[in-house]
Parts: sequence; C-alpha cells; structure tokens
Amino acid sequence: MAYLFQLIISGVVVGSIYALSALGFVLIYKSSRVLNIAHGQIIATGAFITYALTVWAGIPIYISFPISMVLTFFLAMSVERIFLRRLIGEPIISVIMVTIGLMSILDGLIYLTPFGTENFSFPPFLPTTPIAFAGVSISWTQMVGVIVTFTMIGAFSWFFKKSTLGISMRAVSDDQLASMSIGISVPKVFGLAWAMAGLSAAAAGGIIGNITGLNFDTLHAFGIVVFPVVILGGLDSILGAVVAGIIMGLIQQFASGYLDGNWGLNGTGEVMPYIILLIILLFKPHGLFGIHEIERV
Amino acid sequence: MSANRWLATGNYFTSYREEQRIFFTSLDRTAMGLLLAVLFAWPFFLELDNKYMLVIDNILVAVIAVMGLNLVTGFAGLISIGHAAFVGIGAYTVASFSRMLGENHLLLSHGWPVMIILAGCMGAVFGALVGLPALRLKHLYLAIATLSFQMIFQWTINFMNFFNQGQTISVTRVTWVTGQVSRSQHYMFWYYALLVVIVLCGFGVRNLLRTRYGRCLVAVRDNDRAADAMGMHPGFTKVYAFALAGFLAGVAGALHAYLYRGVGVESFTLHHSISYLAMAIVGGLGTLHGSFWGPLAIKLLDLQVEQLSEWVGAHVTAATNLATALRPLSFGLVIVLFLMFEPRGIANWWRIARSYVKLWPFRY
Repeated sequence: MAYLFQLIISGVVVGSIYALSALGFVLIYKSSRVLNIAHGQIIATGAFITYALTVWAGIPIYISFPISMVLTFFLAMSVERIFLRRLIGEPIISVIMVTIGLMSILDGLIYLTPFGTENFSFPPFLPTTPIAFAGVSISWTQMVGVIVTFTMIGAFSWFFKKSTLGISMRAVSDDQLASMSIGISVPKVFGLAWAMAGLSAAAAGGIIGNITGLNFDTLHAFGIVVFPVVILGGLDSILGAVVAGIIMGLIQQFASGYLDGNWGLNGTGEVMPYIILLIILLFKPHGLFGIHEIERV
Repeated sequence: MSANRWLATGNYFTSYREEQRIFFTSLDRTAMGLLLAVLFAWPFFLELDNKYMLVIDNILVAVIAVMGLNLVTGFAGLISIGHAAFVGIGAYTVASFSRMLGENHLLLSHGWPVMIILAGCMGAVFGALVGLPALRLKHLYLAIATLSFQMIFQWTINFMNFFNQGQTISVTRVTWVTGQVSRSQHYMFWYYALLVVIVLCGFGVRNLLRTRYGRCLVAVRDNDRAADAMGMHPGFTKVYAFALAGFLAGVAGALHAYLYRGVGVESFTLHHSISYLAMAIVGGLGTLHGSFWGPLAIKLLDLQVEQLSEWVGAHVTAATNLATALRPLSFGLVIVLFLMFEPRGIANWWRIARSYVKLWPFRY
C-alpha cells in the first residue's frame, strides 16, 4: 500500500511539472493557434539560465529563479518578434515548421554550451532529509517544487480571470477580428503569450533542474511529453492542461512502477504517454476539456 | 495553333491531355534522357574514392525518402515529424528478416529486390496506421500523431531484445548476376541500384501526380471542403497519402540498410526526421524536382559543417564535438530562413532560371 502511495506522490510531483510546462504550450496555442514544437528547448534554456546564475554567478536561488524567469520572458518575446511576427497570415503549416526549425536552432545553441552534453545538479539549498510519513517519503525539493508550481498555476488563472491583459488575451483567442475592433493589438498579445509561455517554461525548467538534475535529454523529453498532456487535456484548455498533466504524471509512474520488469517490459513510463496520445487522437480528439468545435474532415 | 515541339514560349495547351503530359516539349524529354545517360555513364570515366561514393549514395537514399515526405507534406499538406521512423520501419524490416532467417539467408542476399519492395509495403502499412487519425482530424493533430509515432518507434527499438536494443544489426552483402558484390564494388553497385530505384520512383510519382489519385492529394490540400463536394473522401485521401509516403520511406530504409550493411536506431531519430523535413523545405515543398535539390543541398551543407567543425576544432579546444552542435544549428537556420525568405525552395530558383533562359532576351 505504501508503494502505491509513493507512486501517487511521485506521480503528482512529476504531473504538476508537466502541468506547468503544458500551460505555456497551451497559452501559445490558444492565442495564436501555433503548435510550439520548440517548447522543450525553451524549458531547457530556462533551467540552464537558472543554473548559470545560481552556480556560476553565485546568486542565491530564490533571486536567480525569478531572474531567469524574466530573462526567458524576454527571450521568448524576442523569438516571437524575430521569427513568428513576419509569418502572421502565412499558412499555419509553415508557422509550425518554423517552430521545428527553431527547435533545431536552440538545440544547436545548447550543444555549443557545456549543458548540451554534461550533467549538472543544483547545490542543495533545502534540507536533504526527506519528509517521511507512514512509510511514504517526499523530498523537500519535490515539496517546494509542487508548491511553487501550484502557486504559479494559481497566479496564471488569476491573471486570465481578472487582469485586463489576461482578458484581452482570452478575447484574442476567441475572436481576433472582434478583439481588433475594440482596440486590442493582436500582435502584441501574440508576443505576450509567447513571453508568458517562456516565463512558465523557465519556472518548470528550474523546478525540474532542482528535482532531477540538469540533463539536456531529460529536459528535452519534458518538452515532448507536453504533447500527450495537451492532447489529453484538450489543446485550448488551461484547466485541461493542469488536470491532464497530473493524470499523465500518475500514468507514467504507475506504468513504470507496475509494468517495468514484468513481461520483459522496460522503460514503459517513457512510451506510455505517446500510446495514450494515439488512442485519444483516434477516439476523443478534443481531449477532456477541449472545445468540441474540432474541424472535421 | 500548332505547338512548337521543341521550344515553347508559353502554354498553348488546347486539351487537358496536353497539360498532363510528363514532358511538355521534346527538349525536356531529350534533356532528361541526356541527364540519365550522364548519371549512368559517368562512373566509367571518372574514378571516385569510396568515401565520396558513399556521400553520393547517401544523397540518393535521402532523395527517395524525401520524395515520400514531399508527397505527404508538400502535395497533401500534412506535416510529418516522424518520417525518419518510417524510414526506420523499412530498414528494420530488412534487419528483422536478417534476425529471423539468419544473416546469409537466400532471401536477403539474392532476393534483395523482393526485400526492398517488402520493406516498402511494411512502411505503407505503418504509414496508413499512423495516418488513421486523419479520418477525423486536421493537420495540427496529425503532426502530433507522427511525432508520437517517432517516439514509440524509438522506444520499441531501444527496449526490445529482438531489435538488439538499438545496437547495430548486420545485413549481408547482396548477390548480383556476376556473383557476390565485393567490398570494393559495394558503393558503386548500390549507386546503380539506387539510380534505378530513383528513376522508377520518380516516374512513378510523376505519373501518379497526373492521375486522379495524385491530383486528389493536391485538391484535398488546397481545399478539403471543395474536394469533398467533388466526390473525394478527404480522410481516406490523407490516410492514402501517408501510406504512399510510408512506402517510399520504407524503400529508402531498406536501401539504407543494405548500403550500410547494418541497421542501428541512431540513424532514425527525431533529428533525422527534422533533417528530412529540412530537405523537403529547402528543395521546395510540392514540387517533384524539389525532392532532388533538397537532399543534395542539405547533404552538401552537412559536409561543409563537418569540415568547418573539424577546422574550428583544430584551433579551439572545445569540450564537445562541434559537429553535433553546428549540425542542428545550421539545419534549423536553413529551415527558418528558407521559410521566411524563399518558402518555395530551391525549386523556385530553378523555375526562375528556366523562365529566364526560355524568354531570353526578353524579360518580365
């Protein structure tokens, strides 16, 4: 029984990070209908900036973490400004392919730094003895990671519900023409969506870096697992991203906890999300919370 | 108006039949014949090192794969981020026969044309399976489906003992009418084999694109509602496009397996999918000759990148292999720059050059 609870806890930890990563992805999709294939690379960049500031520049992590979020905010905004702004109005297929190109460029840039091949880990800044309760243990970093994640998600939902900017972003995602007519600058909203996505990606990257250590392949994989998460939750639903993120984390942990080692299976946690993705695409393509107006062919 | 059979300054088609010809003028046909003759004959006059032969063979394999990708992405308008996995399906078809029947089985060494076709069919089956969501969904979701297929493929190969967990599975040398192809003739032999396959595939695709089965791909890409109203089934058309792409990719994969005499998962990763996409974009999406320009340009770029990184590596001591960094960087830049400034690819330069020569000394 303790094993089950342990799996649930680690599933929720991983899942909440998925939720945070998927949040940025959904933001971009919701406002501009662009699938950002390069999201994993932005997550990785955020994590590496946090590490560089914390360890190489010696800034305490509770200052360097927000700084890296701000830096990634501007990085993502400039990516939108330089590469995607001039493609507004082009067919969506070429915009997606530009993000594939971006993914490749960021990959190359990361491989130029030591982060591309070597592994790093953050110096511990929290107590290293895990919190143990009834045979179930959770480490302090995981605990703080989950708390930060849920705070961020809460802040984002407040932003979309209450603030003028957030409401204008929702307006643009609903109807671009109508929102232009009431004076919302649509390109600015696109830029802001990218920037916010960068911000949440940097937060997710920093948390992953603290929990699992910095490894480019792992961080990159987080960017790709985002796809199953957003498809499960519905591509344009922020609530869906959060719920599906946690479900996906649980599924992964259960798969690797119960399937690995039996029947000659191994590493099922890595592949399970994609199998689920294909099944969902076949049977319930709008996901759990997505809007049903999928364009049928 | 009787059309000039040799030089046409414009389109003077009076019937749909004329518009659908493979060669519009006799000059086209002669030029194609000459080009093929040169391609088949040059090895008799020019001795090339095996190293360069391998590069040429590599380009030719990529041409076949990109022809498939161009069908699905260029003509049918569906992004495929998993094309390397389809190529891998072809290669692993050969490899699994090699595992099951023993490496030197007659089917593998003598019956290699059968194996290549079989690998193509295998690719087509998997292509159709991955394309199945197309029955309900539009291209955004399909791109994700292909991506997840790529991940599932990599996982399956990496974790299954049957596939040697992604390590190299060796493939035998083939036998031709003159006996077993020797080590020194290996690349030359496959150059000719690849050339024949490319000519077959090229004419096959060109022919396909002028029949209704090919034209329905373009119709569905341009406007699927109109296509639906004209009696095509957009969903099935898309599944069919994926199957076609899978077939060509499978053929390319089998040829890759035979050419390298081994199959390992590291040749079919997500990075390779992206470089296939780069080739298709650089060559020109939605044009057949773009599938020839793209691999040529990207593979040559790849060579330059390798030389550059060697040169830099000799002067600067870097912690990592520079080529691993510069390759994705240059591919990504090429994709983005082409999409931003020349979305129609190198094929468009070719079109401009042609029309310049055709209309010379006039211009517009």
